[in-house]
Amino acid sequence: MAKDTEQLYQQRLKRYTTAMRNEKPDMVPIRPFVAEFVAKYAGYTCQEVTQDFNKAFVATRKCCADFDWDAAVANMVYVWAGIPQAVGLKYYQIPGVGLDKNVGFNYLEPEEGKSFMQQEDYDELIADPTGFLYNTWLPRASGDVVARGQPTSFRNNMSFVKGAMSMMCYFSAFGPQIQAMRTECGTVSAIAGILKAPMDILADKLRGYMGLCADLMECPEKVKKACEALQPHLLHVASTSSDPSNTVPIGFWMHRGCVPFISFDHFNNIFWPTLKPIILELWKRGKQVLFYAEGKWGAHLKTFAELPEKSIVFHVDRDDVFEVSKVLGHKFCISGGIPNFLLAYGKAQEVRDHVKKVIQGVTRNGSYICDASAIVQNDATIENMKAMTEAAREYGTY
Amino acid sequence: MPDQPNVINRPPGVCVPWEEKKKELPPIVGDEQLVKRIWEENDGLAYVYIWQLLLSF
Repeated sequence: MAKDTEQLYQQRLKRYTTAMRNEKPDMVPIRPFVAEFVAKYAGYTCQEVTQDFNKAFVATRKCCADFDWDAAVANMVYVWAGIPQAVGLKYYQIPGVGLDKNVGFNYLEPEEGKSFMQQEDYDELIADPTGFLYNTWLPRASGDVVARGQPTSFRNNMSFVKGAMSMMCYFSAFGPQIQAMRTECGTVSAIAGILKAPMDILADKLRGYMGLCADLMECPEKVKKACEALQPHLLHVASTSSDPSNTVPIGFWMHRGCVPFISFDHFNNIFWPTLKPIILELWKRGKQVLFYAEGKWGAHLKTFAELPEKSIVFHVDRDDVFEVSKVLGHKFCISGGIPNFLLAYGKAQEVRDHVKKVIQGVTRNGSYICDASAIVQNDATIENMKAMTEAAREYGTY
Repeated sequence: MPDQPNVINRPPGVCVPWEEKKKELPPIVGDEQLVKRIWEENDGLAYVYIWQLLLSF
């Protein structure tokens, strides 16, 4: 390892972690969550980086080597298609398979009434979440796994062997990838571990959003009990998949738990009371959480401000980054706020101007990490990503 | 069938609790803690599998 690469890594790590603790680093860190953009930059198709995670790893490292980024996700095209394929999962559309090879993968929301969990299944989920997932959810979500009570099959047996071995293969590859980012590029791996809110999980993979909406009106107590039953498991997964040294935060992917997807009552009585204890417990264990607030969460900023100082990093997607900074910047580091449409369709000078405006506005209230608003796909231009990076360096010195 | 839903208490990190598995085994005349640890480590991987499918894939 070149000594200067390790020095660069240490410098970037200090910059990134200092900002996340809402303190002033030497300059604004740059931490873009680049997904299919890495394929575009490295000359791969979306199909290649989605189906061959080694190509995604190589493309990520190529970007890290060429762009002056402090931190990046080891593979933001996180859903390696090999696993859903091995398990027979029905809910993804993969580039190159019934979808243009240059389009990012899609999550297919189940049709109304055909979700993988039905309203009458709540009691089973509440009584035994893990048993429910294996016995009821997986046979419905997979085309290969046989339902309980039905004759088994070769494909059923293979789905567990192939699914488990492919997951082990994929997860085991992250250690060397993170180490290579460090030694080849001096780039920090930005996050570790995964958290989703109990109610979001109900909407995403179990009841579907439409199913959840019906349940919130027809059986809100069941929804709350289900969220309470999921809570300790989501805490466990977040904690055990996190960085053991508590240096980088847990990625918390926020989907449809905000107004107007749900009402204030449902947010205040179900979503937040079943999420907040997880965040508090993680913080008690020294684990910071990155709130990746996809969409608009502006209606709930004052609620998030209840959390302990420095316990989270708040990432801004479609909200007004200046408003978010005013409400949360005194307690938490803010990231994001560079619109993806600007990175895709704007001119480089417009990107530079916007980055300057955000840095100058947001850093008045606290620390800031420069990033696009949402995950960067292959619509962002290379010129604009360079402009964002250069402007963050030019205007980001404290 | 030992795996009836709603019967076994599965805390986070556990699919088949050691206490349940132990009932199926002949008397453990060697180091029970060793048997228990290896069971729980492998059982924890099964837990990771299903919850990661739900959360990540």
